[in-house]
Parts: sequence; structure tokens; C-alpha cells
Amino acid sequence: MGNGYKMAVLIKQVPDTSSAAGVNPDGTVDRARAKRMINPFDKFALQKAIETRAAHGGEINVISMGPPPALEVLVEALEYGADYGYLLSDRRLAASDTLATAFALYKAITYLKDVDIVFTGLQTTDGDTAQTGPQIAERLDVAQITYCETMEIVNGRIQASRIIDGGIQKLETAPPALITIANSASRLEHKKFANVHMVKKLSRDKAEMERRIKTITLDDIGAEPERVGLLGSPTVVGKTWKLGEKGGSCQLFKGDKPSHEVELLVGAIKSDGKGVEEFVA
Amino acid sequence: MSQYEDIVVIADQIQNDLRPITFELLGAAQTLAAKLNVKVRAIVMGHNLGSIPQELIHNGADSVYVVDQPELAEYTTLTYRRAAISVIESFPRPPHIAICGATTLGRDLAPRIASHFETGLTADCTELDIGDYEHKGRADPSKMGTYNNCLYAIRPSFGESLKARILGPWKNPQMATARTGALIPFPTDTTRTGDIIPIKVKFEDSDFRVKVIETVREVSDALDLIRAKVIVSGGFGLGGAEGFEVVKDLASAFKESAVGSSRKAVDSGWIPYSHQVGQTGKTVRPVLYIALGISGAIQHRVGMSNSGTIIAVNKDEKAPIFQFAHYGIVGDLYEIAPLLKEQFKKTMAS
Repeated sequence: MGNGYKMAVLIKQVPDTSSAAGVNPDGTVDRARAKRMINPFDKFALQKAIETRAAHGGEINVISMGPPPALEVLVEALEYGADYGYLLSDRRLAASDTLATAFALYKAITYLKDVDIVFTGLQTTDGDTAQTGPQIAERLDVAQITYCETMEIVNGRIQASRIIDGGIQKLETAPPALITIANSASRLEHKKFANVHMVKKLSRDKAEMERRIKTITLDDIGAEPERVGLLGSPTVVGKTWKLGEKGGSCQLFKGDKPSHEVELLVGAIKSDGKGVEEFVA
Repeated sequence: MSQYEDIVVIADQIQNDLRPITFELLGAAQTLAAKLNVKVRAIVMGHNLGSIPQELIHNGADSVYVVDQPELAEYTTLTYRRAAISVIESFPRPPHIAICGATTLGRDLAPRIASHFETGLTADCTELDIGDYEHKGRADPSKMGTYNNCLYAIRPSFGESLKARILGPWKNPQMATARTGALIPFPTDTTRTGDIIPIKVKFEDSDFRVKVIETVREVSDALDLIRAKVIVSGGFGLGGAEGFEVVKDLASAFKESAVGSSRKAVDSGWIPYSHQVGQTGKTVRPVLYIALGISGAIQHRVGMSNSGTIIAVNKDEKAPIFQFAHYGIVGDLYEIAPLLKEQFKKTMAS
């Protein structure tokens, strides 16, 4: 392909639960106070796009759906080497479940026109569903490769290996395709100075910034409001409850003679009668 | 006759090997079916399936819809999608519920099916149940009302210490994928009988857009984590990849054992992803789970907290794992793991 591949990488901003900020003592997250980051899985997707562009040329369009602060992850993606960013931000998208999210992102991808390859992370750390990618592929009516670890394009054909339970499957297909990248794929390379410098300059050049990163709405992409958000979501969260703490039930052995503690512990397990001895070799 | 339609289970098989999740799905489906007074239909797709349909009946299916065609010898998204959708569309009315495994197969296939039917799908459930639901949301009046006998799809939520009940009673089939190891299998009964219904599926050229070049089975003596009776797992507290030698050594003291790990150890590149236990890895429920140097973050906990007996070894007495382990030892894992190995042999032999 002369001009390389037109790629879309879908990224999401998620709360950083490894940071103490905004994480309540019981493990729940206060999203307003939590630190924000690129969904770690999406970095593997961005890396695959960068590798593909390096080998064949083309352009990398990063799309994120979320409230205005999600602009941060697009800026960061440009620092990593993406060419253009699109923030799909619209209040009517609030409370979208995976089906509604997939519909909105499908419309955003078709708005970009003639995308050859869509890359996504395997899943997000906040939703953890791994559903949105395949649901977008269904709408786009394209082939999909999920759990992809490695891929290259040879004579216009995508050759990829994906993880399956108990092994690896090697697959071949042609663009257009949607590929979800596993977190065992190659890691995202460090930001290059030139890209970081370019992004820094963008902050002083409004016109160029708007050319590189666009904020788009449902109206821009032609998505019917009743098919997204609360209205377009076939599922709702009915009830949530905290995982029961079993606190206090742990029999703790500590002391300065480990061999003695271990003896007491194994003895206690034996007298439990839960059948562990059956599996001692 | 029930006013509800039947429950569909999509069997998870790779190269004519039914994965453990299939039996767990059938077990859960039978429990749900009893509450609704309906039957369980399994859909199995593949080629030269032999006795697999019978096996599904013995393990809880009341009837089996079999698509046995050469095009389905290897799993591909688009061919299996076509077959599953064709079978479901051959029913006079949509099933009340359809469930799949949250495996590399089910997580690939189920979202395509759900999207095709424009219906809700809840991922990675750890419990399934039936119950009523009253929807009060004023923002979407079309959905308001009381709904009886909905699928309760229950899953750990947002990587937080929460469980959520997800509902989608407005459209059938109400769909969910379930994590391996979370549901209780149906007890095998070789005297069970049921209808086996062959279905012939017509494929389209576009279904063959992805070609399978090769399927490589992992060459490994290690038992699949999910089938293991004893799991010894290592975490960030190991301090390095070489720490897994100690983990393996302790595992070798047990029969049907396997080595697991926390996400942090995988992220550090110390052990492959296939060993990861937890929300983004595997859910396990072995007879015995030994956690070495694992702090017990929620993401790990949801993958192993149903184990029969949990032993935690950690040098930090305040580590969260001591809140839900059954037994704990505070100390240096490099000192304690070999002692545990020795003591298990000694005590259990006597």
C-alpha cells in the first residue's frame, strides 16, 4: 500500500487505582478525586499501531470517548507518537453500557472514513469486560482478532497470533479488521523527545492544536442520541454491594521460630478435615 | 408449560475437548431453569464431535443443538458466530437467557452475538441468579416498570471492592459470560437422556475472512491452573523471576498442583500471563491455595477467594491477604516455603 494504513486506536481514561489518591479505605474509588491515566491495556494497542506505521507507513488516529479531562490521554498518545486525536465527548453518552459505547465508537470510526485497522486494548481496568472491541467489529462488519500477541502485515495480509485457552492460534486476514491486543504483547516504547517537543509547541499554537486534536459530539458523528447513553443501553446496574470482609477469621502464626509456626499451621490444616492431605505427594 | 423460554448454554470446546467452563455453565443453567420451570438447551459447534453431544446431556443439557461441519473444525469468530446465530434464530422465539464462558472463546464470540441481537451482555460473571426487578429510572420512561424472573448477572465491579448485579430484562436473550471456576458444575449422570438435534448451517463467503494457519497447543507438563487441586502462587514479594523456583519447589510437594502468580509478578515479566490468577487472569477454586509474597489486592482476591483452604505467607502483618486467608504466617517466604514443604510431607504422612 503506497500511503500505508489508516489506523484507529481506541483509548480510555481510567482511574489509577494503584495511587492512594481517591481510593477509599474500603477499596471503592472516588472518581472525582482519583488520579487519571491511560487504560494500561490500551498502551499495547498503541504500540502495535506504532510498529505497523514504522513498517508500512500510514497514520495513527487515537479516539477516546469520555468527559473533557479525557483530552489528557489524547495529548499523551500524541507524545507517544500518534498523529491525530479525537475526543468523543457528549453529555448524552453518560451511563452507556458496552453495547451503547460500541455503537458510539463505531460511529466515530466511520466518521474518520476508510479506516483499515482498528486497534484496541484487550479490556479496560475499570470496566474489565473485553466486550466493546468485538461489539464494534460486529457493527463495522469486519474481521476481528482478539487476544492478539504478535502481528505483522505481509503482502497486504495481516498475520497474527492470538492466545487461546491452552495455546496459541495463528491467523491470517486482510484489512479492514479490528484487533484487540493482549497485555503480553510488546510494551509501549518510551516517548520520543521530538514528539514531546511537538506537543509542547501545540499548547502555544491553538490552530495547530485544533488540527491535531478534535473534540467531536454525537451530532458530528451522526449517532442517534437514543442509541447511546442511558437510552441506548440494554443493561443497568441494579444493585452494588461491598465484597464481604471475612476479617478476623484468619488464623495467624507469627513468632521467632518459623519451623514451630509451620508445624502448628500444618497441624491445624490437618485437623480441619478439608481433605488437603489427599493431595500431598 | 412455563411462560418463559428456555435457557441456552453455548458449549466451550477447543479441538473436541469440552472445557471445564461448559460443565459449570450447565450446572448454573439447571439451577436457573428450575426457578423458571424451563429446560436447558446446549449449542455445540465443531467437527467430528463424536460423543460430545451425549456428554453434554450427561452433564445437564436437556437437549443439544449440534452444528457438526468441516468449516467449524477450528474456532474462528465469524464461522462460530454464524453457526450460533443461525441456531438461535431457528428457535420460534428468542431464548430467555443465553450464557457463554468468559474464556478466550466466549469473550471473543458472545459480544458479537449480543451485538447482532442488540441485547445486553454482562461480562465475567461470578454468580447467576433469577429474580425480580423494578426499574424506576425517570430518565428513560420507556424502561420503567416491574420485571419478573430476570437474569441477575453478578460480577465484581470496576476493579473495586464491589460486586454488582447487572440486569437487562427489556430484551431476550438476556446474556452473560461466566468466569471459569466460579459456578458449580452439574453432577455427571450417564443415565440422563435428551434430544440431540443436528442443525445444518449455511455459511457465507465473508464468514471465511479469517484463516487459521496453525493452532499450537502449549507444550507444558504443568496442569492447567483451572483444573489444579493445589495452587502455589508467587507475588511481587518474591523480588525477582528466580523466586518462582521456590514456588515451583513447594508446588512439587503436592499432587495435581500448578503454579500461579499475581498480576504484579506477571507485569514485572517474571512469569507468563497464563499463570495469572485474579480479575484480569484466571479464577480458581482449588482445595488448597498457598500465596507466597502476595499482598492480596482486590484484583487477586476475586480470582481465588473461593479456594477451599488459603494459606498466606507475607512479611507484612498488615497485608490485606491476611484478612481473607484461612491461615497466615508472618515471615520471610524464602525461609518458610521449604519448611512448609517438609512439614506437609511429615504431618500428612503420620
